[in-house]
Amino acid sequence: MLTFLTRRIAAGIATLVVAIFLMYLLVDLAIDPLADLVDSTAPNKAELIQARINLLHLDQSVFVRFFTWAGHFITGDFGTAWKTGQEVGPLVGHAIGSTLQLVTAATVLSLVLGVAVGVVSALRQYSTFDYVIIFVSFLLYSLPSFWIAILLKQWGAIGFNDFLADPVIAWPTIALFAVVSGLVWMIAVGGSRTRRIQTFAIAAVATFSAVAFVQLTDWWSTPHFGPVLIGVTGLALAFAVSGLSAGFGNRKALYTAVTTVLVGLVLYYPMQALFDNVDESNLLIAGLAVVAIGIGYLLGYLFRGPDWRVSSRVGAIVAFLVASMIYIDQILQVWPAYFRALKGRPIPTFGDSTPNLGGNYWVQTLDSLTHLLLPTLTLILVAFAAYTRYSRSSMLEVMSQDYIRTARAKGLNERTVVMRHGFRNTLIPLATIVPIDIITLIGGAVITEAVFARPGMGALFVTSLQHAEIDPVMAYLVITAALAIIANIVADLVYAAVDPRIRLNP
Amino acid sequence: MATVAAAALVLSGCSSDAKKDDNAGISTDTAVNIAWNQPFYSFNGNSITGNATANNVILYLLQSHFNYYDADLNLINDTSFGTMEKVSDDPLQVKYTYADTATWSDGTPAGPADLLLEWAGQSGKFNNVEPEYDEETGDVTNQAALDAGVYFDGATPSVALITDTPVIEGNSITLTYSKPFADWQVSIDNNLPAHIVAKRALGIDDPTEAAAALVDAIDNNKVDDLSKIAKVWSNDFNYVEMPTDPDLYVSSGAYVLSEYKKDQFLTLKANPEYKGDNKATIPTVTVRYNGDPMSQVQALSNGEVDLINPQSTSDVLTAVKALDGIKVETGTEGTYEHIDLQFANGGPFDPATYGGDADKAHKVREAFLKTVPRQEIIDKLIKPLDPEATIRNSFTIVPGAPDYASVSEVSGQAAYDVVDIEGAKALLAEAGVASPTVRVLFDPDNTRRVNQFDLMVASAKEAGINVVAYEVQDGWGSDLSSATSYYDAALFGWQSTSTAVTESDANYRTGATNNFYGYSNAEVDALFDQLQVETVPAKQVEILGQVEKHLVDDAFGLTIFQFPGVTASRESALTGVVPLTIAPGIFYGFWDWSAGSAAASK
Repeated sequence: MLTFLTRRIAAGIATLVVAIFLMYLLVDLAIDPLADLVDSTAPNKAELIQARINLLHLDQSVFVRFFTWAGHFITGDFGTAWKTGQEVGPLVGHAIGSTLQLVTAATVLSLVLGVAVGVVSALRQYSTFDYVIIFVSFLLYSLPSFWIAILLKQWGAIGFNDFLADPVIAWPTIALFAVVSGLVWMIAVGGSRTRRIQTFAIAAVATFSAVAFVQLTDWWSTPHFGPVLIGVTGLALAFAVSGLSAGFGNRKALYTAVTTVLVGLVLYYPMQALFDNVDESNLLIAGLAVVAIGIGYLLGYLFRGPDWRVSSRVGAIVAFLVASMIYIDQILQVWPAYFRALKGRPIPTFGDSTPNLGGNYWVQTLDSLTHLLLPTLTLILVAFAAYTRYSRSSMLEVMSQDYIRTARAKGLNERTVVMRHGFRNTLIPLATIVPIDIITLIGGAVITEAVFARPGMGALFVTSLQHAEIDPVMAYLVITAALAIIANIVADLVYAAVDPRIRLNP
Repeated sequence: MATVAAAALVLSGCSSDAKKDDNAGISTDTAVNIAWNQPFYSFNGNSITGNATANNVILYLLQSHFNYYDADLNLINDTSFGTMEKVSDDPLQVKYTYADTATWSDGTPAGPADLLLEWAGQSGKFNNVEPEYDEETGDVTNQAALDAGVYFDGATPSVALITDTPVIEGNSITLTYSKPFADWQVSIDNNLPAHIVAKRALGIDDPTEAAAALVDAIDNNKVDDLSKIAKVWSNDFNYVEMPTDPDLYVSSGAYVLSEYKKDQFLTLKANPEYKGDNKATIPTVTVRYNGDPMSQVQALSNGEVDLINPQSTSDVLTAVKALDGIKVETGTEGTYEHIDLQFANGGPFDPATYGGDADKAHKVREAFLKTVPRQEIIDKLIKPLDPEATIRNSFTIVPGAPDYASVSEVSGQAAYDVVDIEGAKALLAEAGVASPTVRVLFDPDNTRRVNQFDLMVASAKEAGINVVAYEVQDGWGSDLSSATSYYDAALFGWQSTSTAVTESDANYRTGATNNFYGYSNAEVDALFDQLQVETVPAKQVEILGQVEKHLVDDAFGLTIFQFPGVTASRESALTGVVPLTIAPGIFYGFWDWSAGSAAASK
């Protein structure tokens, strides 16, 4: 293990050094720091050019400049973005913060969605649902992100805001939407002819009712959860989570889940009072989330059941979901004021905050979220496609293994076979892909950030390159290259940890 | 999910909880939002670092100046800030008098000390140390000397002509030029608050005492104090987010900086201390940063910004024209396209190629210029972006400036308006040069230049001239000066930032910075010598006309078009925007803006 790590880290550092050297040469070739002075007619042009040559040592060879830069970099002096005179260190710090904000939600959501859809698709191999998912994922995979971004802005922001001005959907449109939704659920759930017709009917009616509810209660202008919706949604989630995670046979787990929802509901009004009387911060909210998860866990422990860990897990997941709904409900309570302040156009197309907005913690959070919405969706659509493909093929491979047949042969029910023996093993290959993907996202949301004018790492890279500032460009490249190498090492370690067949030492 | 929602419908007869109907602390101010591509980074727009459009457009709203350009590019004196008058021609002396209404936003009156500081900063007179670098490592070797010495990050050649320390009398300051200078009116202007610079550098809190100490340091060349002053002047005002010290954004103009979020937006509020004439009509102006032209159009469409001035392309123009309630204006911007010929590279336009036969080379040059399809370039490439585009016929004056018509008439460049293939053939026949090859330098990554080049190739071919693209050596920008033997004609743009008449000196004088072509005409040089010291505007125009006549007669090159620009604004939010061809572009005349119909109806 230690030998492996040492060897990999040494190799990683060597790769990094060579890569950085080559990158420096390439960046130096690509940029021209004197470009903006070429077509200047300033009377002191010659002096300006000379001053810049002195400033950037352009009269020295690129090798000398590289080693000077590298020497400074190692000693912690990351250089200066010379055009604006800013230190690179704080620039990068600021950019990483913004990027993390963007990629965290996008990665988690696309992973959950992608894996779920991929797994279902694999279980329904060669069904209509499978083909539709294959088609959609290839379509999304092949769309360039700037194109998705522009379309999302046009429809998701401009179009949706126009719609909010008079939020009425024609009834035939709702009916059509309900039929489409019914069809999707029908092919996803599958089963016998009767089962299909049942699924279709339930899903179509449910969708129709949901949209009608939204329309009739004027939900678009005043979106909210409230205790009733939280209760209903919470109970549905309680059943879904305990069903998938523990099986309906495990009554104690189900009781845990339902009790957790009820506790959440009981706490709803006290929480309103609490939020009205304290100064909220992200730290406090995170603390409350931990407390909520703890309560769910504790409830599971108290209910016990065949395996108390299963009940606790179910309790924790449900508690987290219910707490999230209470949090979102709290954010949505400021929606009407926010909506008015933005003159009825709440979904923005660029930036990371509305200028001069003011407002309390909830307004600020809502404002961040509306600004995160479209860029996050862009990233999700692209990454979702990839995760669907990975998890589908991985699930297919696992389900054809002998141990699955063995599991079925010894009489385990289908849920246990799929969730415990199939799904868990499906995640092994994903464990190697996800760390690398996160790294790529940190460095690679270049296009999305540029199109949405978010000041993250990608934007830093692009603008520095345009300004011919080599120091921030190199800082960016060092960070992404180093992270990529680290991610690869981490992926190997994770692989060894989750798959007992892999040994790191020969 | 669908099931859940359906159940919810059944269960929720009541409309859940009571919503908070207060505004949760949201600010109710309305602002006009303007999209701009590059973030502001320096409050000192006259230092070498800070002199950029990104800063100067913002400073235009923040600072008062002795004069500014009006929509017709006439220089207007802002008498509510101060007056400037020429008190003597030889030596050239200019007296600046601050008006009683000239005030900084902290309440301190603006005064002669401010202009004295500006002179110290830009003249380079006090700079006694330059960074020295280690040959091997590139490190600064004289850091200690730099720290102790004086180095103002500013260099303006015209201010350097003021060698004697300006003399302060009461509320006036008199600048004496060591030799007459044509553009004295735009040579120097009020910039940073002297009392703040002195406060930060010398630690004197009282504004009057601080300013007095600064004047004393400059008058008596106190190196220790000047060293600190120079550092404050050069560095302290460079920032990319709201500085913690409010002194760093004390302004003299109609607006004050009120919020600056890094890379996102910058908010300006009307300055309550402003007593001048050009008052803010919009109480809050927010400049939001977004570098992508199409993204700016979508933001305008979504109501996030009210005024955009993106880089003009036909896609942007089509998109912006399709929007409702948006006023779209096309016009011209500061940069102009031109083609210059190489006189001294052994190519077809160099007399040396023909054994020193200058007349022969001249005929070949003239023949080539006759084939340049200027009108076709404008019709095909520029008119779609600006229907009113015309050929630019002056080497020195921006179209729309007061003297453009007279100068372009004298120069006779209009003779090249129409392509004259027969004339070109005749000239080539006279010269006895059959099918010369002309290598044209241009930026191969710039689509519009590539298209222009293609049009030139087709037109020249008819006259038997073979136009080819030059071989890129290091990049077109550096090849201009360093690879002159590889190209015979250069096609690119010059930016004009002011209407200063001496600006063209560097382009056409023998051996000047921007004369990469070996062009040398003793009479042109003599005319520029005269122009430099000519302070009477009418005479300046006459000299420029003669210079241009020489350039046309020598077949030096041609000017083609002014870059097209597009401005789009939401009429319900903002009216009265009149973009200026040169900086500050769309920000010009903010005192005539009005808040539009939506605000009026509230």
